[in-house]
Amino acid sequence: MAYVTRRRFLSGLAASCAAVGIASALGVPRSAAARPLDEVMERGRLRVAVYRDFPPFSFQRDGKLVGIDVDLAKAIAEKLGVKADIYEQIPGETVSDDLRVAVWRGSLFGGELADIMMHIPYDKQFGLMNPEAVLFGPYHHEVFALARDPQRVRSAMLATLPDEPIAVEIDSVPDFFLLGLQGGRLRSRVIHCPTPEAAIGKLTSGEAAAVLAPLSQVQAALGARSEQFPVTTVTLPGMMTSNWNIGMATKENSRDLAYSIGDAVTALTEDGTMGRIFAAYGVIHTPPPLVE
Amino acid sequence: MKRLVTSLALAASLTAFSATGVLAADAAGPSSDDLLKSATNTEAVLTYGMGPQAQRFSPLTDLNADTVKKLVPVWSFSFGGEKQRGQEAQPIIYDGTIYVTGSYSRLYAVDARTGHKKWEYNHRLPDGIMPCCDVVNRGAAIYKDKIYFATLDARLVALNRETGKVVWNKKLQEYKEGYSNTAAPLIIDGKIITGNSGGEFGVIGMVEARDAETGELVWQRPTIEGNMGTLNGKESTVTGKTNASWPGDMYKTGGGATWLGGTYDPETKTLFFGTGNPAPWNSHLRPGDNLYTSSTLAINPDNGEIKWHYQTTPHDGWDFDGVNEFVSFDLKKDGKVIKAGGKADRNGFFYVIDRTNGKLINASPFVTKITWAKGIDIETGRPIYNDDNRPGAPATGDAHDAKGKSVFAAPAFLGAKNWMPMAYNPQTELFYVPANEWGMDIWNEPITYKKGAAYLGAGFTIKPLYDDYIGALRAVDPKTGKIVWEYKNPAPLWGGVLTTAGNLVFTGTPEGYLKAFDAKSGKEVWKFQTGSGVVGSPVTWKMDGEQYVAVVSGWGGAVPLWGGDVAKLVKDINQGGSLWVFKLPKA
Repeated sequence: MAYVTRRRFLSGLAASCAAVGIASALGVPRSAAARPLDEVMERGRLRVAVYRDFPPFSFQRDGKLVGIDVDLAKAIAEKLGVKADIYEQIPGETVSDDLRVAVWRGSLFGGELADIMMHIPYDKQFGLMNPEAVLFGPYHHEVFALARDPQRVRSAMLATLPDEPIAVEIDSVPDFFLLGLQGGRLRSRVIHCPTPEAAIGKLTSGEAAAVLAPLSQVQAALGARSEQFPVTTVTLPGMMTSNWNIGMATKENSRDLAYSIGDAVTALTEDGTMGRIFAAYGVIHTPPPLVE
Repeated sequence: MKRLVTSLALAASLTAFSATGVLAADAAGPSSDDLLKSATNTEAVLTYGMGPQAQRFSPLTDLNADTVKKLVPVWSFSFGGEKQRGQEAQPIIYDGTIYVTGSYSRLYAVDARTGHKKWEYNHRLPDGIMPCCDVVNRGAAIYKDKIYFATLDARLVALNRETGKVVWNKKLQEYKEGYSNTAAPLIIDGKIITGNSGGEFGVIGMVEARDAETGELVWQRPTIEGNMGTLNGKESTVTGKTNASWPGDMYKTGGGATWLGGTYDPETKTLFFGTGNPAPWNSHLRPGDNLYTSSTLAINPDNGEIKWHYQTTPHDGWDFDGVNEFVSFDLKKDGKVIKAGGKADRNGFFYVIDRTNGKLINASPFVTKITWAKGIDIETGRPIYNDDNRPGAPATGDAHDAKGKSVFAAPAFLGAKNWMPMAYNPQTELFYVPANEWGMDIWNEPITYKKGAAYLGAGFTIKPLYDDYIGALRAVDPKTGKIVWEYKNPAPLWGGVLTTAGNLVFTGTPEGYLKAFDAKSGKEVWKFQTGSGVVGSPVTWKMDGEQYVAVVSGWGGAVPLWGGDVAKLVKDINQGGSLWVFKLPKA
């Protein structure tokens, strides 16, 4: 119910943007003036950053930018009644770097800031580390999953993984988990791949007996072959982060935009659009659990 | 004089050249031999490091500890545009022209007498590049009719040095994978030699030689054992011995980037390249020495074969990396002259190494606090670790929610000395090392994210060690390892050093000064405020019978981006972007 109330309130605000514009000209403080949403509505355009080469969320297919995050950004823009202006961002060393470049400071090379960036972890701790950005609109719950060749890896129990090659994305949590597992028992069997997709390639070609990677990326890369290679969600004991929520981010001064888009996400989830967008890329949508 | 006569005679027959004032004898440009002998050429600055050994020593004596007070600015040149940030370049000076690189991959040719711009090359950078550590460039290389520099999108560009027109432009690495290049190239016997930088993950260090005329690849030498090198388009030899110091397939992505470029010793015909830290960050996941990360590699310039290596931080767990320049010099000790090299490592030790075989001669601290090791065993050449000071593995034992043990480590990961080059003065027989006194809280951190996914990174906070200074310019005696004098600077030092036979040492400060010191006593004898922080490397040369000094000014680099508490200390320094030229006027 709270959502509905806020959505009504915000849509009212958007409708009266002319009045707000006058208020801001009179020097009313920015937080009250709520400019960023006005600016987006006035321009008729929502600028969205997505990760480059990041299937199934944002990637090039036949020369076109497609993916779950891309389609979702378009659906959000449509809800706001504006055009989506989506661009690809090269990932930095950490998401904090991506936030700095995409939504608050901007690139050292110039260019327009994004109004929002997709696929940002929705995590209170992480939010506190990045006070210049607002994290909002969680739209998916991500977990790690083990995909395996059932002949070679008979159970999905991580503690009893056999002495078989296992593929991971380099520098990922599964990578570090397996390198450190049980005193490094499998350290020399870990195959490091540039992406989860490439790791799945090692599994289906027989080079690896299993893959440990985020579930959505495993589902999308395996597609129908998941019948031959069972997929099981797992928690990684000893690692603090075995699952997390994915949302969006905007600049600290753009909370009104965040509320408005958060409501659009809720509506898209309720009317089934969200599930259809994920399904189109072979991924089962898992709404984030309601927390705090 | 003879050369001048020849030039004039030629000029008379080539009216086109004489009309533009270019002497035909110089139009051919510096040869390989000129570059090898550049350390003693006082009329030009032909190489990064003021000589291939990179001693940054000038034999000029007009300017000395007495006359330096008469050193005055002649002109200043603005890099222009809206682009400022860190200016870390060393100018190249040849035939009355200064070639200097600016931030954002720009290159300028400026008349050395007037400061008039001859041409400017503004490299077109692709959208969305993500260099890790500011948008700097450290300098160009000159050879024959061309001038060369590397760019932020990891390309190597050769330009006609008279016109600034691009002759060739080659991809060094893929910028989309996080590669970048900021170091000055090195040209030896017609080959242009570069390292690689950026891309902390999924990357291995590489040294590459290309034909300077065409840009075609001649050889490649990976810095991590187990990886295959190439020579003339064919596989050559494997670096080291596969899996000797790396588990599993981790050597394929083991790090060891050569981001600072290299030096060369004409006497032993050897290239020296430093290598970066190993990947992944958490050292507990990669037991072993992790060769050849955090090392100096001695390489044959003809074929890219490794002659020897010396690893300064085996099994690096502090992100020290070992890229610092290796400076060849003659060590006079006990009546003997030893062909040695000096290296002030990020890990806080000053190493003196036999450059013919890589054997350690001496290692001593050049900063006041080193927590990670008690010392270096001279016999084995290995550090004596303080095991308590290695950042802990996250979640060891039953402590499932633990962030790894936090340790206070000194030096900080930005290093007791970072990229900024030191100088060696064969007359005082001292090295002049721009050092920084700082430490860090460091831990293996479980909560962070990369590309939208959970990730285990490292947490760190840099802290100054003292209230009154961070930077320290130190005179180090390589014979004893003793600090002979020091100059303390409030802000961290981030610029290169120059020393001269006139008993002088020059360096810049973030506070904006170019300063000169008495090389024997360390007494400050001159300073000039350039208007922005100085993080470039000064040079000196003689022109029209007068001694000149040049340095770039423009605050930036990694400190404001990474410096934690230190970044707050320097946040009020204004940015800039200019080249300053000084001279000692004729009496």
